[in-house]
Amino acid sequence: MILRPFQYVECATVADAVEALVAHGEAARLVAGGTALVPLMKHQVLRPDILVSVARVPGLGAIEPLGDGGLRVGALATHADIAHSPLVRERAPLLAEACGRVASPAIRAMGTLGGNLCYGESASDPSPALLALRARVRLTGPGGERAVPVVDFFTGFYETALGEGEVLTAVEVPPSPAGARWRYLKWTPRAREDKALVGLAAVVALADGMCVSARLGVGGVAASPVALTHAAAALEGSALDQSSAERAAEAAAAEVEPVDDLQGSAGYRRDMLRVWTRRVLTGLAAESGRA
Amino acid sequence: MERVALALTVNGRAVRVEVPAHWTLLEVLRDGLDLLGTKEGCGEGSCGACTVLVDGRLARACLALAARAGGAAVETVEGLAAEGRLAPLQDAFVRHGAIQCGFCTPGLLMTATALLADHPRATDEEIREFLSGNFCRCGGYTLIMNAVRELAGRPAGGAERGDA
Repeated sequence: MILRPFQYVECATVADAVEALVAHGEAARLVAGGTALVPLMKHQVLRPDILVSVARVPGLGAIEPLGDGGLRVGALATHADIAHSPLVRERAPLLAEACGRVASPAIRAMGTLGGNLCYGESASDPSPALLALRARVRLTGPGGERAVPVVDFFTGFYETALGEGEVLTAVEVPPSPAGARWRYLKWTPRAREDKALVGLAAVVALADGMCVSARLGVGGVAASPVALTHAAAALEGSALDQSSAERAAEAAAAEVEPVDDLQGSAGYRRDMLRVWTRRVLTGLAAESGRA
Repeated sequence: MERVALALTVNGRAVRVEVPAHWTLLEVLRDGLDLLGTKEGCGEGSCGACTVLVDGRLARACLALAARAGGAAVETVEGLAAEGRLAPLQDAFVRHGAIQCGFCTPGLLMTATALLADHPRATDEEIREFLSGNFCRCGGYTLIMNAVRELAGRPAGGAERGDA
């Protein structure tokens, strides 16, 4: 498969990229690792005349600690960078785990976190993890910089809150509650490297056996990655046990609007979400706790 | 049509090539440099036939844009054999019969090279995880596993060449 001709603009700074995106409008597309964009261009789903690359912007892939105990992941950090980063494994192991489950090793080595999020695909692995971690993204555009909670970033089927000329520059992950238990479960009915039919991320904090905070996110089920707020509410204030896990699983299945496609029917997705929510939560209940 | 002049290192050799700006690294290798070892399978990053190493990291040449390849150190299957002798991994593929039609082999060799660089004593789980992005449509996975296991210093398991 070959690509249609395009002009390639390598930007030295984010500001240059914003300027190029604004100048060329619909004719231009932003590119970093290319693992999502290039196949779409080969299939001519997208036909940009100009590719605006941020792939060589210095420092845009940095992974840094934040003073509050959280961390900041630059948009150009690859999934492999994040999966292997000692800092991420220490401060947001859920994100490292989810990034380590993206596609296959070569795609993880090429694809970037920023690109993954901006693609806006439901079956993204890091997206539900970032929902459960209550992360936010930093966007830079013609109007300046702004921060958007990840829960508000995904607005629909392959749609995000990115405005015209905006570039996602970083993801900021706050510290998790002390003693929080976490899990990323990727259910692929066929092969390991497939996209998630259910990609379920959970962060649950317990105090004296009671769930004081629960955050769940899921990809692959609905039209976009979504936070499971009803399921979380079913856990908070209860003991984390079989009974609350089942209530949360029912709530999760009831609150999503599953998509229906060749990978799985809406009913199958709903059923699998119910099953995996229950299993993930009972698994967390059985853990002795890990930070 | 816009063209780009690239200076890169391929298998340790400095090369200069001028190619259309919309080419991928796969086209640079095959059509620009006549290195036909790297194959195009699916063309969209799934099958692994075009896997190469770029600056020591796994990459799908079919997704890597040529315009970004300037300055990169690219390693392809042609660079594995030294002085006319197969690399130990290639030799193991031959002895274990880990090749049928051979189309997936260059990509598998490069992926396994990256695996063994990171995990010289790779476990079966690590081997499977690394090779999960390389499809062999002849279905020779057991023999491929055995060849890579040998390089990881462990005995072959499952069916061997010549088994019914």
